[in-house]
Amino acid sequence: MAIAILRRLAGAAPAPAFPAIGAGMRAAADDLFLDGRLIRADSIRHARILLVAGPVREADQDDIRRLHDQMLHPRATLWWKSNPVPDFAEPATCDEDDPVAAIEAIHRALIEGARDSEPDILPNEPPNPWRGKGDYGQGGEGMMGGTPYGRPMAMTDDDLRDGLALDAYTAPFGPFLPMLPPGLKLSVTLQGDVIQTAKLLRPPSAQAEAYDGTVTALRALGRFLPILGLEAHAVRCLEAARSLSAGKPIELAKIRQFLFWSGALAAIPSGIGMVEDTDVRMRVERWLAALDESPTGGLDGSATMSPLKPARLVDLLRGREWSEAILIVNSFDTDTLISLAPVEAEDAETEGRAREDGIRMDHEGHGTHAHGATGT
Amino acid sequence: MTQVLAIMVLPLFLLAGIVAAAVLDRAVPPLVAGRSLKASFVGPITVASSRAMGQTGATEHPDTISWILAPILYFTLAAIGLSVVPFAPGVVAADLDAGIVLWGACESLTVVAVFLHGWSANSPLPLIGAYRYVAIGLPAMLLSMFVLIAAALPAQSLAVTDIVEAQRSVWNIVRQPAGFVLFLMLGLSLSLRGPFDFADPYDLAGGTTAEISGAARLTWWLARLAMLVSVSAMTATVFLGGYLGPVLPGFVWLVVKTGLVLVVLVGAGEVFARLPPDRMMNLIWLALLPLSFLMLVAVGVELLLWG
Amino acid sequence: MGLIDLTFLVLSAIAIVSGWRVFATDSMVRASFLLLLSFTAVGLIILMLAAPYIGIATIFMMAVEMMVMALFMVMFMMNPAGLNPMMMVHQNRFAIGAGIVAFLGLSAAVLTTDFPTDPVDPGRQVIRDLGLEMLGPSMLIFETAGVTLLAAMVGAVVLSARTGRFGPSDEGSRPPGLEVGGEPAGRRVEKASGHGHHHMHDSHVGDEDAQHAEGNPEADGHNADGGESGRRPSLRSDWSAGNRSMTSKTEATS
Repeated sequence: MAIAILRRLAGAAPAPAFPAIGAGMRAAADDLFLDGRLIRADSIRHARILLVAGPVREADQDDIRRLHDQMLHPRATLWWKSNPVPDFAEPATCDEDDPVAAIEAIHRALIEGARDSEPDILPNEPPNPWRGKGDYGQGGEGMMGGTPYGRPMAMTDDDLRDGLALDAYTAPFGPFLPMLPPGLKLSVTLQGDVIQTAKLLRPPSAQAEAYDGTVTALRALGRFLPILGLEAHAVRCLEAARSLSAGKPIELAKIRQFLFWSGALAAIPSGIGMVEDTDVRMRVERWLAALDESPTGGLDGSATMSPLKPARLVDLLRGREWSEAILIVNSFDTDTLISLAPVEAEDAETEGRAREDGIRMDHEGHGTHAHGATGT
Repeated sequence: MTQVLAIMVLPLFLLAGIVAAAVLDRAVPPLVAGRSLKASFVGPITVASSRAMGQTGATEHPDTISWILAPILYFTLAAIGLSVVPFAPGVVAADLDAGIVLWGACESLTVVAVFLHGWSANSPLPLIGAYRYVAIGLPAMLLSMFVLIAAALPAQSLAVTDIVEAQRSVWNIVRQPAGFVLFLMLGLSLSLRGPFDFADPYDLAGGTTAEISGAARLTWWLARLAMLVSVSAMTATVFLGGYLGPVLPGFVWLVVKTGLVLVVLVGAGEVFARLPPDRMMNLIWLALLPLSFLMLVAVGVELLLWG
Repeated sequence: MGLIDLTFLVLSAIAIVSGWRVFATDSMVRASFLLLLSFTAVGLIILMLAAPYIGIATIFMMAVEMMVMALFMVMFMMNPAGLNPMMMVHQNRFAIGAGIVAFLGLSAAVLTTDFPTDPVDPGRQVIRDLGLEMLGPSMLIFETAGVTLLAAMVGAVVLSARTGRFGPSDEGSRPPGLEVGGEPAGRRVEKASGHGHHHMHDSHVGDEDAQHAEGNPEADGHNADGGESGRRPSLRSDWSAGNRSMTSKTEATS
């Protein structure tokens, strides 16, 4: 009885979905989650539905599988304008422009038990086998080595900022983390939350978003503001971008005013992510300036779109704190970011290979969230 | 007798507050986003039941005991903190002589609870959220203690009941307006909200909650709301005269004032931007902490000269 | 046995058991929070002794203290799960012996002492009395301790800040000479050749050792015990050959 009531109530709740966004689908996915019938899950653990939007790159297929397995039961996957990755049994697909109805139907079926929860795809193995190893079965070796309890033993390392050598921690992040542009996968060595080194594993997927002054600026703000804790303002910007693309007039002055009072500009540290003499704050100011212009003409697109060869994203991130780094990454549009993130086929650095192995040992199983690898 | 009454009122107060906070949490963001307002009691309940179903999540070798206990500890601290708040003249669950010290202990243990919640998941993003919160939460708590001492000075007592009675002539918000703002900031910090949400932010994919789901996440969510209610009631009591007020009964006044603070906190959480932790830390240590000293000195001087 | 006796026994049991677990757990974070639990139980016992301020303040202070301690531990040891199980105690036999002697001694003292039964009058304002005592007759002790602690805190911040007393600390700052133009004062960083063996695979041996030696020549010793230091190079980051380390290298040989 109580369970039945609970189910009915839960069925009426918005469907928590986690978008794994592929090429060309970022704007569509952003617009999709403006719908009140959906909740955009910050973490795959909070989701019941994995929404794969757009084509999945070959390299990302394993990450999709891992992501899927990290989702908790009951769970389902919907392939929206996408090509189901092999190993997914009976994939549900949707090629309509608006998949909300399909997501809702799957969600309700899951809650009511009409649809079975999807089984694991990958074997459930720890990324670093540890059980039963070592003197106490903890996976460690001696006093300082091994992977005690599944985590590699952290070792002190030099620090970029203050010379206080603390434990460094290396893990891959991406390619579907919500606060990183879709497709971007980095291997990051952290000390505390200061990034000691970042290494590009995979560049962001191309989005082919045509430059359109105000709309581009609004979308960029919509992706940037949640990092500053301004989720509601972000919704306002994204909604304005959608209306504007549809040709509806909107009141831009109000958005500017709200953002002014939120202190968003003051919150951004100056001097970070410096590329061609503009830092993150200036780029955000540029978006704000674009709101003043007429919707179609607007600010000179080439200023923000020019390929920026000399700078590399990984260099911009070095020595930055995690949240500053996220601000930097999100202050570029996807095309600029791709030009900042050249793929290096062979790492020229001497220790490259060895370090790569060190990283693998770390967190290969955690994929997107560097999660505790339940499902992997 | 009145203590028994207060102990019976406390859970009801907390429950009503949680419901109100949950409704506000769904109503305020659309308002800020400029969308049509759809405040409903059903919305939070469906979300809660949706969360109640489903698994809670697991990672590789988490500290299971702390992981389960942290949300419960957090909720309990909210309730204990609320227990020093007098609901009406003489009606208080824990009429301690050292009431605000107990509140301070709840504040500091809250930092412990949030830290444990992130640490025990054994996963990097929750861990970053956890220690980042400690770095901001501890100094925020520190300055709240100076604010509270400045509130206790005119009452010449550490008991919350005496602090309320001392506000019969003038409310503490008039005496130390900056202290009131600082205490609101503490409220945001204790309930992990908006500009002070360094534990569960978007840039950490949910921070300390990144690995949990189901009942564990539901408990954490309820605990956060409970702490919000608790801190609102405390703010109303210490700065807005608590149950004092004309015509209406004292309890009604407390409810009205608590509700008002609740609205302000939820609104502030949505409207103001969050500084990166490093900048926030500088702001707290270099600007806000000295400001709280100044407030304390100002109140002291005022009481010496005219008290 | 009344409710108060029962509460006392339960709290004492919590204090003792969690105190013992502090030494039995293999995680430093767990150890510090178990210690907090132990102190919380003691704080509640003090509360029962009609000393509300001291009891609650104990819990309050211990929570902050243990939190800071745990934070530093996580800073130094990013591994969230814990460490390899290890002995958290040193000088085992002596410690056990001392513990038993202390326990027996205190127990004997408790059992043989004739405690006065002098319940505090509920109406008495104990906090006011405490405040008057601390800021009255004991003012000098209280203020001396306070100012000393403050000075220690300021000193610790100054010493640990990057903008060290004699220039940026990470660039190997050293105090000026004792006589004009003389050799800079302060400890000279020795190149610790004895530690080289556990960085065999590492091309940047020298500079790292210099840094270790700079902090504490002996502190490095425990790393060597593990015998697993071959892992270090894989976790080391690339930039260590960069400018900053070079500074300390020159420092080491100057």
